[in-house]
Amino acid sequence: MESTLDSKEILNRFLAEVERRAFQMAKFATRNRDEALDLVQEAMLQFVRRYSIRPREEWSVLFYRVLRSRITDWYRRTFVRRKILTWLGRPGEEDSEDPLQRMPDTGNPNPSDHILRQEKRGALEKAIRALPLRQQQAFLLRAWEGMDLKQTAFIMKCSEGSVKTHYSRAVHTLRGLLEGIRS
Amino acid sequence: MNAKDSEKVFLENVQGLLDQGAENLESQTERRLEEIRAGALIAVDERHPRFFFPRRWVLAGSFAMATLAAAALLFFLYPSTATLPTGDLEDLEIITSRERLDIYQNLDFYRWLGSQDNHVRPNGKGV
Repeated sequence: MESTLDSKEILNRFLAEVERRAFQMAKFATRNRDEALDLVQEAMLQFVRRYSIRPREEWSVLFYRVLRSRITDWYRRTFVRRKILTWLGRPGEEDSEDPLQRMPDTGNPNPSDHILRQEKRGALEKAIRALPLRQQQAFLLRAWEGMDLKQTAFIMKCSEGSVKTHYSRAVHTLRGLLEGIRS
Repeated sequence: MNAKDSEKVFLENVQGLLDQGAENLESQTERRLEEIRAGALIAVDERHPRFFFPRRWVLAGSFAMATLAAAALLFFLYPSTATLPTGDLEDLEIITSRERLDIYQNLDFYRWLGSQDNHVRPNGKGV
């Protein structure tokens, strides 16, 4: 019984570690908070049922593999839905602005610095959202999650060469779009 | 600053901004994420049947059954036509009998004794 509680607590900590990043990744792909939360929920449930018995050191890669799979499924479904809506003469949903970007942060002592960072963050998130899905995933997994080539290829179900290509294209595009972030 | 250092600085800045975005989620989103996590932890108990009956056991059992079926099929399709040598069976009887083996070492003596019995009655007198 104690070991079950311990393993549940370990799992709880792991999920707490990854949930925010997972949500952000899903939100970059879907551009919608609720859709992103649904994808995180599906990914967590599938991960827990299928892979939580695997060794702890494999969890991160397996979780992101499940999440990527859910995002790709969502992307396919949405693509088909948009095509049908376009064919029926009804335009798809417009991208909505993230309300978080407009929220004031009263805890920051230097408002101008905060605004600058917020602007940079907004620009970065917009640029990442604009990337093709594969480039977006390769970039986030490599640059943000710190996955190596092999892990990223496993998560994305493609070759290491493809990961290199997607990642370098993403970095090139983002650096071109975000000159200000370099400084 | 060379191109590699420049890219490193760029990526560090990007990481910092992405981390900041993940840390500053709306409270409503944070609550929803906590609920999702709690729901996932409840689902941990649903995985136990898989633990006791993993897929590899099913695969191993199927493989064993298929091998047995193939062996049985071969046995019935190509039954052995060779006959067992009778001499070997006699040897087997000798080996497995509880008699002491030294009786066969004095076989000539017992054969002679048997021929004598044919001429001698139980009371010791001849025919």
